[in-house]
Amino acid sequence: MLTIDNVVTSYGMIKALKGVSLTAASGKVTCLLGPNGAGKTTLMFTIAGILKTQTGTITLDDTDLTRYSPVKIVEHGISLVPENRLVFPMMTVRENLETGAYLRVGKDRKAIADDLERMFARFPRLGERSDQPAGTLSGGEQQMLAIGRALMARPRILLMDEPSLGLAPLIVEEIFRIVEELNQAGVTIFLVEQNARMALRVADHFYLLEQGRVTFSGSPGALEEEEVIQRAYLGTRRE
Amino acid sequence: MIDFIQNCIDGVMIGSGYALLAIGFTIVFGVLRRLNLAYGPSIMLGAFVGTLLYVQFQAQILTVAIATVIGAVVVGMYVERLCFWAIRRGAAIASMVSSFAIWMQLEEVAAIILPERTYPFPALTEMAPLEIGPFFLRSEPLVMFVVAVALMAVVHTVLYRTRFGLAVRAVSENPSAARFMGIHIDAVMFWAFALVSAIGGVAGFLILATDQQVTPYFGLWVTFKGLIAMMLGGMGSLPGAILGGLVLGVVETQSLWYLGADYRDLSAYFLLFLILIVRPGGIMGQALPERERAADRRV
Amino acid sequence: MDDYVVSVLSNIGMISFLALSAYLLLLTGEISFGQQAFFAIGAYLSAIATAMWGWPLWSALLLAAAAAAAAATVIGILTLRLRGLYFSIATLAFAEMVRLLFVIFHYQVVIDGEPVGPDGAEGFRDIRWVFENNVSAAEYMVIIYVVLFIVVALFFRLERSRLGSIFRMLGEDTLLAEMQGLNVIRFKVLASGIAGFIAGIGGAFYAHFTTYLEPQIFNVMLGVHGLLYGLIGGLGTALGPLIGVGLDIGFLEAIRAIQGYRMIVFGGLVAVLLIFMPRGILDEERVHWIRMTWRRWRNAAR
Repeated sequence: MLTIDNVVTSYGMIKALKGVSLTAASGKVTCLLGPNGAGKTTLMFTIAGILKTQTGTITLDDTDLTRYSPVKIVEHGISLVPENRLVFPMMTVRENLETGAYLRVGKDRKAIADDLERMFARFPRLGERSDQPAGTLSGGEQQMLAIGRALMARPRILLMDEPSLGLAPLIVEEIFRIVEELNQAGVTIFLVEQNARMALRVADHFYLLEQGRVTFSGSPGALEEEEVIQRAYLGTRRE
Repeated sequence: MIDFIQNCIDGVMIGSGYALLAIGFTIVFGVLRRLNLAYGPSIMLGAFVGTLLYVQFQAQILTVAIATVIGAVVVGMYVERLCFWAIRRGAAIASMVSSFAIWMQLEEVAAIILPERTYPFPALTEMAPLEIGPFFLRSEPLVMFVVAVALMAVVHTVLYRTRFGLAVRAVSENPSAARFMGIHIDAVMFWAFALVSAIGGVAGFLILATDQQVTPYFGLWVTFKGLIAMMLGGMGSLPGAILGGLVLGVVETQSLWYLGADYRDLSAYFLLFLILIVRPGGIMGQALPERERAADRRV
Repeated sequence: MDDYVVSVLSNIGMISFLALSAYLLLLTGEISFGQQAFFAIGAYLSAIATAMWGWPLWSALLLAAAAAAAAATVIGILTLRLRGLYFSIATLAFAEMVRLLFVIFHYQVVIDGEPVGPDGAEGFRDIRWVFENNVSAAEYMVIIYVVLFIVVALFFRLERSRLGSIFRMLGEDTLLAEMQGLNVIRFKVLASGIAGFIAGIGGAFYAHFTTYLEPQIFNVMLGVHGLLYGLIGGLGTALGPLIGVGLDIGFLEAIRAIQGYRMIVFGGLVAVLLIFMPRGILDEERVHWIRMTWRRWRNAAR
């Protein structure tokens, strides 16, 4: 569904992505693993339209999204759950979810209201706190909120940037369980992570990103889990 | 005691005008993270358009009001494009400096268009003052108060019950996240600025129609009142802006009564200075970490 | 040299002190809207000393500058612990308080049957030391520039010194400075005091140049101008603010065609300039480049 072909993104003179190509198949969970600084968030920002690639293309099914603005990217069905959640701290949980549906507001009010109810059903804790400011939620709850918010856009593909970041292990398990459930319900997911162990459990296919390049592509089990974890945290050791 | 309460009443009424100005500064600060120092002069130019119509064409009060608002909005657009949009990527300081420069520019434009010391402005109302017991409610400030409160209600509705308001709040709280929702940041900033200019235009109109005159010092005066009110209440907080405006109005009125005209403005600045030293977060208290970071800037 | 040119140049000289005053604080990363208050203190106090107490100009100048420095230090202690924007607004509030205090300040002595001294909003006239001592306009201008030259030379010294580096580091990265064990506030207060001194000198010269003072002169606009000069001239060197002053008072003044529109042009120019050079004309990068190029050129010439 989402095809990234030879994407090169730079920060000034530094090339963060040196020609990345990968595919996130429809209906599957695709993971991109790699250590800090490998370029995972850069890639997410490039897909989201915040950063521009110098060469290469980003295609969603048959649409070339490469030059699109962030607004149009969301319009075309790509929704991002950002690193560190980035919920709107002073807005209520409900309002946060509504911002996720921003591009749909005014067009199908009933559908949005239905989706809100569905979110509260899927994430009961959010329902309990629906009128509380999002800043008062715990880390795990904020992550759920960020996921719910992204889902409110009814995306064709959900991008997740390091969902485990800063969360306690028990919460991380819960989040990944949610990822699995979402996928079973039909949501296509592309997620980048440093926590390889959890990611491999949910991935249908995974890539390794090291220093701006994809160094491995395969299904879980194709590489020894230990090796994957090591490379995801530390990168390949230079011989 | 009666005097004190009377002053409070008068102060609250005039403070409602200050509150509107403070709201303008606060929204721009919230959404753009910058202070618009050309706010006062742009409102003044709007008022000059209004007074021109009044003097040259004997325009009706409603026409003058609309002209003032439109003038303020048009000049506001000029300021937004030149000082904020064009320098979006630069440091916050560049925008602020640019708005100083345009402030100076607009002041001179005002001096050129209308070189006299003062110009008449239509009166807000011809009604006699209301008497409630031992207290007088002068009709112009009363009308100003009523309109100001109505406008505040409108602003609240816009911010909390419309799609646009949702976008404005999202951008204020976290511009990056807002972008990920598909919110068009530049457009939001532009229209927020337009809204703020319109609010300023109304506020300016109300204040001038109460005084029934406009002078070339009005621009600077507006900037000061708005800034002081905003800081008194707590920078970045809308309820703070309103509270700050009302407090400023009351403090001014009280010091005018008890200390005399020379001390009126002095008290306002002294109060501001004191609050900043003792409790910079203003009356409403601590600003959120986001806002504190916004208060930092590197030269 | 005709009178008009002398007058313009003198103006440039005096306002340069104000610009340098704001500049010093800008180096430490603080935006002060209030340097005009110290300019005012310098003006009023020196005028009181010469016109009312019979002091000679030099001692009056020193007294006034010292008083301005003291005031600046006290205000600095009170306000510099506030973060950026709050500090700036506090300086604004303070400066306006000073101006309004001068409006209610009355102090007069009778000299030769006439009352002399600051009379609130009515102003302070007859500050005539320059005339009574037969200093011509041109001579006065030279005096201004000699002192200005000394101050600028001291600034250049400062750039090379440890203190100068500390000041710049405060402006660049306060956190880093703190981690190095520097007492950030103490240094900023020091900068504030020095800046007050410089502004005070400028004010003293100003009082004796115009011979008439009124509170209205020392308004926010004056302070904002002082700030602007450094911000557009660039903060890379003490010459930056001087360029800013020269640009406004000198260059634009010279263009007769835009006489009545000087602010409009200047304001517009600044706004456009900031789009392309957000850190001013002679910002740190450019100054560094100039120095490197100069050094290379000198080495090549050997």
